[in-house]
Amino acid sequence: MDIFAGLAHGFSVALMPSNLLWCLVGCFLGTIVGILPGLGPAATIAMLLPMTYSMSPASGIIMLTGIYYGAKYGGSTTSILLNMPGESSSVVTCIDGYQMARKGRAGAALGIAAIASFIAGSFGIIALSLMAPPIAAFALSFSSPEYFALMALGLALVVLLAGDSLVKGLIALLVGLWLTSIGTDLFTSQSRFTFGQTSLLSGLDFMVVAIGVFAITEVLSSISDQEETQVLPVPKGLRNLLPNWEELKACRFAFANGSIVGFIIGVLPGAGASIASFISYGIERAFSRHPEKFGTGLPEGVAAPEGANNADTGGALIPLLTLGIPGGGTTAILLSALVLWGVKPGPLMMTESPDVFWGLVASLYIGNVMLLILNLPMVPLFAQILRIPVYILHPIIFGVSVIGAYSVAGRVFDVLMLAGFGALGFAMARLKFPVAPLVLGFVLGDAMERALRQSLMMSQGDLSILISRPISAGMLIFAVGVLFLPLLPRFRRLKEAAG
Amino acid sequence: MNRRILLTTALAMGAALLAPAAQAEWKPTRPIELVVHSGPGGGNDVMGRALVAAIDEAKLSPVRIQVSNKVGGGGATAASYLADKKGDPHVIGIFTSVWITNPLVQQEANVSIRELTPISLMVLEPALMVVRADSPYKTMTELMDAAKANPGKMKQSGGSPLARDALVRTVLQAKTGGRWAFISFPSGGERISALLGGHVDMMVIEPQEAGELIRSGKIRALAQVTESRLPDFKDIPTLKEAGFDVPNPPQPRGVIGPPGMAPDVLAYYVDLIQRANKSPGWQKFLRDGILEEKLLGPKETLEFLTQTETQMRGILTESGVKLVR
Repeated sequence: MDIFAGLAHGFSVALMPSNLLWCLVGCFLGTIVGILPGLGPAATIAMLLPMTYSMSPASGIIMLTGIYYGAKYGGSTTSILLNMPGESSSVVTCIDGYQMARKGRAGAALGIAAIASFIAGSFGIIALSLMAPPIAAFALSFSSPEYFALMALGLALVVLLAGDSLVKGLIALLVGLWLTSIGTDLFTSQSRFTFGQTSLLSGLDFMVVAIGVFAITEVLSSISDQEETQVLPVPKGLRNLLPNWEELKACRFAFANGSIVGFIIGVLPGAGASIASFISYGIERAFSRHPEKFGTGLPEGVAAPEGANNADTGGALIPLLTLGIPGGGTTAILLSALVLWGVKPGPLMMTESPDVFWGLVASLYIGNVMLLILNLPMVPLFAQILRIPVYILHPIIFGVSVIGAYSVAGRVFDVLMLAGFGALGFAMARLKFPVAPLVLGFVLGDAMERALRQSLMMSQGDLSILISRPISAGMLIFAVGVLFLPLLPRFRRLKEAAG
Repeated sequence: MNRRILLTTALAMGAALLAPAAQAEWKPTRPIELVVHSGPGGGNDVMGRALVAAIDEAKLSPVRIQVSNKVGGGGATAASYLADKKGDPHVIGIFTSVWITNPLVQQEANVSIRELTPISLMVLEPALMVVRADSPYKTMTELMDAAKANPGKMKQSGGSPLARDALVRTVLQAKTGGRWAFISFPSGGERISALLGGHVDMMVIEPQEAGELIRSGKIRALAQVTESRLPDFKDIPTLKEAGFDVPNPPQPRGVIGPPGMAPDVLAYYVDLIQRANKSPGWQKFLRDGILEEKLLGPKETLEFLTQTETQMRGILTESGVKLVR
């Protein structure tokens, strides 16, 4: 079936009233799940799976996938309003999103997140429908050396996240790298830094760390501030609820960056939306004309990661739908759902189950529009959360954080860890250590170490495998270039002084 | 056998003797918690949810059964959670082979599967040895000869060094004298991608994961890691038939309870699992997942687990993994 005939058939499936309804249900549930920290799309889909047994496979996959990408829309809401990431791929949105809210631009930040999600999400879907098979082949050409180079590039971006002191940034990064190495080593099954604790065998959960160092730290900081606690300014009037033209213009590069970076990284089974959002944010900053202003509430600091985590959806569905390969936890459960309904996900699915394949692809277009319509009018409503006085809001943030940390794995241990990371984040804030490099090190460290060791096992210990492959070599050179970026202004100053 | 098990067994036997002949039947009075050690979408989670769905569909349980994910430590978190629930009749769990191997190599994983109450072994997961479709190796013998001719050059993608795919490599290496690298990837998707992308030479894979890729001609199966040929793969020889008479490291999954489960409670669950095993929903799950049905009672399950532990101990020592127990 040719692509356009396929899409036409897909729309005829997706536009059936019942499927439209399921799509809406999925998107709506996804948004809610995205807003609630801790409860992720994977767990939600697993819980709802039994309900879908009696549905047709097309309706089932349309609804469950709606939860998957809907969650990515919703994830930014609490990041922006409360400095509490709702989803692991919205962690980096806290950095500039929350600062925008503090400046009274909460509505604008939410609007930009929704628009970026829509633009990049649509880009991912178009790319998915037009060139899924060749893109899948590209994803397979990525091997461990390329993953290593990608993660190294991500880590190099840390120099841009470090803020005033590079030394403090690097120390925070090292702490993040250490934290991510806690747990069972994949290659030897030996435990590292577990101090005899069974609970540490699986390592620390990213959401627990992120909620701790962002949300809990924020609450602690505002409690300890001696001056009269400031309520965040509530945006008033329609003009302040939506992003203005200047802000949108500032984001035009971020929309494209988020779309492309998010999609490409999404295609790779070994990466994922969190890594995509961090790298997209880093690239946005690397190419910005005013990188020093990041972290103070720049709209492009919201647009890039929020775009990337939505473009990731289209990318991540490619190996799933064309090869039957899941790239992460959520796509893995979508795969097992397809098997349960009797669909055979794999290279032949596109031709053997066109209803499911094209119906799903078409529903993505529809779902994206639905989410935009669902989310934009919610912006004023959500922004009203900031009206709640601090003495009520902070206990709520505290409570939701605790529930979020507990619901990650149903363990009290994670709540204790949450408290620990809240304290760590608070100490770091007091001592003026940036927290972003820690989180970045945590996200990338594990994947990077794994890729390095896999590469060296493949080459029998020969390091040249990292630079003898073109894609990997190219990314490593780019990474080294990024490392020198912070020196540029200094170099310019020297030149001016000399000249 | 350690003292705790002896004591538990003695207590259980004592309780059995003391119980009146016409024992009052135990019935659950509140929702049952079914503990699985993997996150949503993982092997044990999928099995747990399928079991619950089959039981619900056939209306076999008077109370709701709730899957609860106690993720972490390759089963250690779930096992120690179950161990803490001693005496609670409303908690059961799903075990798999890592529950046996993990305590052997990790100091922190301190709950042996034999301390808990095995209820029923339910399935054995078969496996296939596969290569890419354009690989030069058409038979198991060709593949093994190549591995022997190029020591250390060939690569296999897989999971943890304790997982079945790693153990299959160990027994094959011991048998053939060949040596090849085992490269660990955290998720099944990454393992298959490495094979399809040509970055590794072979993989031991579950038939359900491989089925569509074989049918579409992307990969080729050389042998099945089973005792006898699976109905879905009639043309593919077992390892033994292919000339490699090695012990098959099993991948068992079944239901287990907290330590010292009372006999009437145990009897209830054994009966429930037996009826669930016959239910259409469960049989469909076995068929779709290409799983081997292997229903054993509590005593036979314990024997099976004890035997498997001994076997794993041998294979792990052979592969150079450091044992702590």
